[in-house]
Amino acid sequence: MVAVLGLVLWAGVYHWKSRREAKLKSELNEVTLTPANAGVDQSFGTDLRGKAAPAFSLKDVSGKTVSLADYKGRPVVVNFWATYCGPCREEMPWFQEFTQKYPGLVVLGLDEEDGVTVEQVKKAAARTAVTYPILMADEKTATSYSLGDFLPVSFYVDKNGVVVEQTAGVGSKDQMEASVRKIAGTE
Amino acid sequence: MKRVLGCKFYVLGWVVGLLCFSAATQEIRFGDARPGSRQNVELLTDAVEVRAGQAQVVELRFRVDPGFHINSHTPKDELLVPTVLKVDSGVDVAGVEYPAGAAFQLADGSTLDVYRGEFRVRVKLVAGAGKSVLTGALRYQACDGAACFPAKTLAVRVFVTGQ
Repeated sequence: MVAVLGLVLWAGVYHWKSRREAKLKSELNEVTLTPANAGVDQSFGTDLRGKAAPAFSLKDVSGKTVSLADYKGRPVVVNFWATYCGPCREEMPWFQEFTQKYPGLVVLGLDEEDGVTVEQVKKAAARTAVTYPILMADEKTATSYSLGDFLPVSFYVDKNGVVVEQTAGVGSKDQMEASVRKIAGTE
Repeated sequence: MKRVLGCKFYVLGWVVGLLCFSAATQEIRFGDARPGSRQNVELLTDAVEVRAGQAQVVELRFRVDPGFHINSHTPKDELLVPTVLKVDSGVDVAGVEYPAGAAFQLADGSTLDVYRGEFRVRVKLVAGAGKSVLTGALRYQACDGAACFPAKTLAVRVFVTGQ
């Protein structure tokens, strides 16, 4: 009787410990990809909405230095993307279209990846037929925007330099346009 | 008599309490509650048996997390990161064969060549008698329908028994 009770008790404690370890392990690994309309997920990083967009000064693919401050007084979309990212390349032509539809709107495409050459970035951007500035992001900029380890991620900055919306992953074109309208003053 | 009965109830109470505690701590799972992970591919094969000293093909089974895909070994686009298995040590490797990918269409109409779910990489190897460990790494780059992770490396470690 005592032996059986001891065995039952031991099994219970053993399983409880296993479950606790598995839970801790899964929490460490957990990440959720959210479509753009789902708002900002905890795995995204810092919520920058309502705060000043972090300043940056980066080289574009032609070697020219471009700063966020250059576009003070204009609505800006800061779009982080990468050459290997299919969903990123899906949404880039939509941003291009919005720059034509909303006068004054600026889109800055920041390539955020390691080990890529300017030529590769140029080539990938050319396939999307975008004409807005494509910049080579650096670690400092990625950190200041608190990027997670997935792309695309976009920040919609109004003409006062404040982040009004931020999205992770590709949403629908309509959802993206709704975010653009928030900063373009047409909402 | 009353004392004996009281003692019995006391023991019974302890038994019931212990059983309840044990039941509450047992692992009971309904369906797969595994969350998404930063490592989107896992190695399913942990051990293989081969004929010692002879070239032989073994299959290493991998699984891509549900909802994700990774590029095949031969993606149709040079800008994409191919899946590559690199074996470092443990056995002599004569060659690696990758499965064909499946078509995955993006919303913009372009088509990718990807692995989804389980896929098997065939490794032609020669191992000596006894136990050895094949070590290496699988490099891959994962996406779901809305976003992509940067390229990652999954450590590969498989026990090889040569008989």
